[in-house]
Amino acid sequence: MHYRSLIAATALAGALLAAFTAAADDSKYPNLKGQWNTLSPRGSFDPDKPPGRGTLAPLTEEYKAVYEANVKDQLAGGHGTEPSYMCLPPGMPRAMIAYESMEVVVTPETTYILIDHIHDHRRIHTDGRPWPTEIEPSFRGYSIGKWVDEGNTGRFNVLEVETRGFKGPRAYDTSGLPLHSDNKTVVKERIYQDKADANILYDEITTIDSALTRPWIVTRKYQRDTKQQFPWWREVVCTENNQHVRIGEENYMIGADGLLMPARKGQRPPDLRYFSQGEVTGATK
Amino acid sequence: MACRSSFAIVAFAGLFSATAAGAQDFLLKYPDIVGQWRRPPGIGIQWDQSKRVGPAQQAPLTPEYQARYEANLADQRAGGQGTDPLGKCIPPGMPRMMSVIFPMEIIIMPNTTYILTDYTDPRRIYTDGRAWPKEVEPTFTGYSIGKWIDEDGDGRYDVLEVESRGFKGPRTYEASGIELHDDGETVIKERISLDKTNKDVLINEITTIDNALTRPWTVTKKYQRERGNVVWYFNHCAENNHHVWIGKDNYMVSGDGYLMPVKKNQAPPDLRYFQSSQK
Repeated sequence: MHYRSLIAATALAGALLAAFTAAADDSKYPNLKGQWNTLSPRGSFDPDKPPGRGTLAPLTEEYKAVYEANVKDQLAGGHGTEPSYMCLPPGMPRAMIAYESMEVVVTPETTYILIDHIHDHRRIHTDGRPWPTEIEPSFRGYSIGKWVDEGNTGRFNVLEVETRGFKGPRAYDTSGLPLHSDNKTVVKERIYQDKADANILYDEITTIDSALTRPWIVTRKYQRDTKQQFPWWREVVCTENNQHVRIGEENYMIGADGLLMPARKGQRPPDLRYFSQGEVTGATK
Repeated sequence: MACRSSFAIVAFAGLFSATAAGAQDFLLKYPDIVGQWRRPPGIGIQWDQSKRVGPAQQAPLTPEYQARYEANLADQRAGGQGTDPLGKCIPPGMPRMMSVIFPMEIIIMPNTTYILTDYTDPRRIYTDGRAWPKEVEPTFTGYSIGKWIDEDGDGRYDVLEVESRGFKGPRTYEASGIELHDDGETVIKERISLDKTNKDVLINEITTIDNALTRPWTVTKKYQRERGNVVWYFNHCAENNHHVWIGKDNYMVSGDGYLMPVKKNQAPPDLRYFQSSQK
């Protein structure tokens, strides 16, 4: 009788456990609710170094040359290897610069990182799935994570994430520091709160990429907004007022008066061969 | 001994149920709308799923906006984009984003229900009982406040009622260019619930109240749950957009990288700044 009670109680506990793992559980996961804003400078992927050459990214010789050509192009008015001027999403790992406010939504199966910038949202699958045999390449990649209780505190305190399956072009920051065009990047992250201040969040990001001579580790820092009861989430639409126009391989600008203008000195106008039947104005008259 | 065992069982179950209570309550309180939701087979991008895209929608437009719609159709027939802003990769905003061009995910948390469409920014529907803010920064997605309702009194929520306000434009209902009013004063009311006879069908009854309409326009959209291998498509409109706007004129970039007209006898862009830059 008592054994049957024990079995029944165990079954009940099991059923509760199943339910327990299927829903959000504040006692098990860290409290990451709210709005997080970067405390690290946005201009440089490595917050401890100045942007551009000062970052001292461990690029291979080949990619140092790619980077220098990019710097030269940017100095001439171009965009070099920086793709986001045409509103391409930054992808990973750059998305974690968090150009806009970040929200972390934790469910047992998935942790969502929502950054209302240029589709920087991420799904980090924490349901124990294996890596799929095929991954549709994307700028943000495919992320699998695992919650870890470091120090056996009885509560998860670190989210370990690995992200693969990329496409490009991607750069680390606006300086145009490029990732390799083979897109075989692997990004590993450790996301955790400051032990002394739960309103500080860290993301230790290790990038393993064929354009690097060694894994590159940077740690970015975010602060929770504790002032607003109901945080405002800004809607940023890059395409709404983008003055850049790309025609073929050339980048141009749209002036305040709506006319096409060169983006660099001496730039030739676009080839208008398909307009041969129409009225031609300006430079090609 | 037997008493001690019973006590232990009760204590264990009590302890467990205390820690699990919140999660258990959550599970039993909200409907199961986890997963990936898509447009049903055969349904395109039309606003009212029961009608064909375009004039067959019979949108109850005011005469002013009906005239604008006709002009837009004429422009589209000539090769232009009319009033459809998506050619510029402007997000569809509300209510059009609920056409779910790409699959949708709904995440229910106690204070917010999130709608992710992997095509636009996420919708946050606040269900924490907040009041309308005094000022709302206008957005394409709008500001949404919702309330979970237990309509049949079975102890579990079954309908999410949502009201959205605070818009900016341009916004259209569908690619045919049926516009919402420029004033951004649209109010959208939604009732989102599972089909009572098929839990893999989600229903969204959407009522749009807008100054470009002569009356509230109600449509009912259905979505189908994907039960197979779920893949999320990350669609970036700007990635392969061949539309180019120079001033108010729309052009295309051809496959070989040259600027080309979208309309017959369209004039090329004014290149006066190139003339001066090459002096």
